[in-house]
Amino acid sequence: MRYVLRKVVLFVLTLWAAITLNFILPRLMPGSPVDAALGKLASAGVPITNAERNAIEIQLGVPHSGLLTQYLEYLRNIATLRFGTSYSFPSQTVAQTIGKALPWTLILIGATTIVAFIIGTLLGVYAGWHRGRAADSSITIGATFFGAFPPFWLGLLLLYLLAFRYGWFPIKGGFSPGASPNLSLSFLADALRHSVLPALTLVITTMSGWVFGMRNNMINTLGEDFVTFAEANGLRDRTVALRYAARNALLPNVTAFGLSLGAVVGGAVLVEGVFSYPGVGGLLFIAVTNHDFPLMQALLLVFTLSMLVAIFIVDLLYVRLDPRVRT
Amino acid sequence: MRRPPKMKSAAAAAAIVALLAAGASACASSSGSGTTASTGGTLTIQGDAGTPTLTENFNPLQPATELHGTYLIYEPLEIPSPVNGSYTPFLATGYQFTNPTTLVYTIRQGVKWSDGTPFTPADVVFTFNLLKKNPGLDGNGVWSQISGVSASGNDVTIRFKAPNVPFAGIIAQTPIVPQHVWSKIADPVKFTNTHPVGTGPFVLSKFAPTQYTLAKNKLYWNASKIAPSTVVFPAEASNQSTNQLAVSSGQFDWSYTFLPDVKKTYVDRDPAHNQYWFPPGGTIGLYLNLTKAPFTSVDFRRGLSLALNRTAIAQKAVNGYMAQASLSGLILPNLSKWLDPSLPDQGQVSQSKPAALAAFAKAGYTMRGGNLTSSNGTKASLTIVLPNSFSDWVAAATEVKNELTADGITVTLDLPQYAQYSQEIQAGTFDAAIGGFGGTGSPYTDFNNALNSTYAAPINTPTANNFERFKSPAVNQALATLASSTSTATQQQATDKLELMMYNTVPIVLLYYGGSWGLFSTKHFTGWPSASDPYTLPTNYNNALLTVVTHLRKA
Repeated sequence: MRYVLRKVVLFVLTLWAAITLNFILPRLMPGSPVDAALGKLASAGVPITNAERNAIEIQLGVPHSGLLTQYLEYLRNIATLRFGTSYSFPSQTVAQTIGKALPWTLILIGATTIVAFIIGTLLGVYAGWHRGRAADSSITIGATFFGAFPPFWLGLLLLYLLAFRYGWFPIKGGFSPGASPNLSLSFLADALRHSVLPALTLVITTMSGWVFGMRNNMINTLGEDFVTFAEANGLRDRTVALRYAARNALLPNVTAFGLSLGAVVGGAVLVEGVFSYPGVGGLLFIAVTNHDFPLMQALLLVFTLSMLVAIFIVDLLYVRLDPRVRT
Repeated sequence: MRRPPKMKSAAAAAAIVALLAAGASACASSSGSGTTASTGGTLTIQGDAGTPTLTENFNPLQPATELHGTYLIYEPLEIPSPVNGSYTPFLATGYQFTNPTTLVYTIRQGVKWSDGTPFTPADVVFTFNLLKKNPGLDGNGVWSQISGVSASGNDVTIRFKAPNVPFAGIIAQTPIVPQHVWSKIADPVKFTNTHPVGTGPFVLSKFAPTQYTLAKNKLYWNASKIAPSTVVFPAEASNQSTNQLAVSSGQFDWSYTFLPDVKKTYVDRDPAHNQYWFPPGGTIGLYLNLTKAPFTSVDFRRGLSLALNRTAIAQKAVNGYMAQASLSGLILPNLSKWLDPSLPDQGQVSQSKPAALAAFAKAGYTMRGGNLTSSNGTKASLTIVLPNSFSDWVAAATEVKNELTADGITVTLDLPQYAQYSQEIQAGTFDAAIGGFGGTGSPYTDFNNALNSTYAAPINTPTANNFERFKSPAVNQALATLASSTSTATQQQATDKLELMMYNTVPIVLLYYGGSWGLFSTKHFTGWPSASDPYTLPTNYNNALLTVVTHLRKA
């Protein structure tokens, strides 16, 4: 019980630190939101004048109050779950903006994380069991090869081959131009077709981490006495590999899996960018380029919160999984 | 002159070129069959930033955030061409300066708003007063120049605080909004205008998160001359490489994107229809902080100018699509009618090491041990600041650095995000910076924004105009003459003086022309701006959109 209490206190303290950092970090970026907005005009070849600067300053409504006042207001807004209006999307609230993007990321990245974990772990078990043999080398080399691809680059390659060259998949977006998100069967099918390439990119590039983690854990576990004992008892290879070795080797991977599920909410900034996928990763990119403090704060809050909750749950799970932490 | 894409690495850039080029041979589509009907058909325009979905905003007085289709829904009085300044009339049929501070527009009659209400000169007066009441909408600073606006009969009269004849070009481009709708809007600055009512040739027909559609306005005063029946704006990919693939695959009638090796990556994919026009749209220059030594010295600046090989810089920056800049400050050939014929070589300067060294020597700098050094032993050095996302500027600055290093000057490149760059140049805390000059089509506006001493704020007081902080009474005098003159001969004389000043005192070391990257398909529509008919720039994200779409004919 004291363990749990300690974890709760730690959780609250970490949360406060994270919230405060979320406030400070965006403001450490040099330049103001007005400067960032001028950048968009400049890159469109609009001559930047003082009149333009004034107008944008008024349009954005950037607060002129002191940092402390802003910080207190920020804390109050978080407590009441009001995040205000973003500079990038003035027609909707920050909560609406994030609410629209979050499901896309949760489904795409969530599904690919789970698929990559399952395939990667199974391959790792197989390679570990057959360590040193042809199957092991080909899986290890394959994982090294695909794992070394930068995700955005693999994304571009798939995009070029499967979408541009052969036209099997759409070039960009989460759904067809002109469609509006709804829960009809035709829309879901359309969205699924649009998610194939980004999902493939993510599965291929993130799988290798699970393969290596699992393979190395397997090899360690296979050297343990209880495995030798099981083998000496004449149990079938399959039983030894899965029930004795893999089950124990899986523990560290489960921890990592919990953490990566927490990170799902953060999205995959570059991959979402390549495919113009309407998720939160792309949203964060926009927020940063626009110095959009309200949007950035809310996004970082969502990210840190989901990460902290994931860590908290993993911590609590350990009480059940590993008797040693209870003392 | 929107930027070429920012590349993750040189390798990625090379790979994209290779990918696009390889695709070019793969699928050239067959040519379409011509129809004889004079109107009808769908026009598809690329370029509205999907981030990745569109943000619905059709407020024509918020150019920074409005969707591009807004330019087809609302009309201004007139649009001067950014190429040569010639006017295309819209809601006004003409204008006249009755004296240098009084501008009278004759308003077009028989025009209706898209909801059927008649358009009147009162709407024009209302719009200008709206800008006065809401400075957040007055991005062009109209009310910094004018003192009042009034209507009588078919005329709208604008009164200036001080003579400013060239400013008529900016007044004329103000989009006019309907009084009967906008007078009821509580906060027009935050208004996103999702049900726009305008006088323009198109009305909003359907909005979806990644694409919106405009339909022809049946009530448009010139409806019989409008060729497309619908205009579709799909959201642009937020990733430039993806965007280039979409453009190259031929989904658009009009795109605006920098494509490397455009012949292979665009034209060859449908040689019968695909064409491009890359006219200069602005000038890119090396700005020096004129409050800091040695940049205070005209001779030192001239030395820098002579030390640079501008052809090589343009080649590195924009694949050689653009030429080196004329130091007159005019974009050529767009503004050649204003060019002072006495300027040698149309104001172009070629690299000359001996001449550069001679100029540096006059400024007190000589070569010592491989370093350009002043008489008191200071080594010449400068830090050039520029935004890291403008890849053509980065390429140009790198070439400038290499060339100046060869002349014994220590050059450092500082590549922050745009926001930090903007902060540094406007505060005047920089040494040297890459920046854009001109591109409005009006020599007065170009020179006034960049050189007028009244803008030269003290260091640490931000100014977007004249941020190099140039001060010259002679230039101010010439600008004032140009502002108050309605006679072409006087205007020409004053412009000549400014060009000469630009050429001789090098307030900005102009380098090369920034491109305007127009890609067109003649499959559905013809009449696009081109080198042989340069009626406007091929920019599909400002009011050139209205000029071009009203020029189109069905293919």
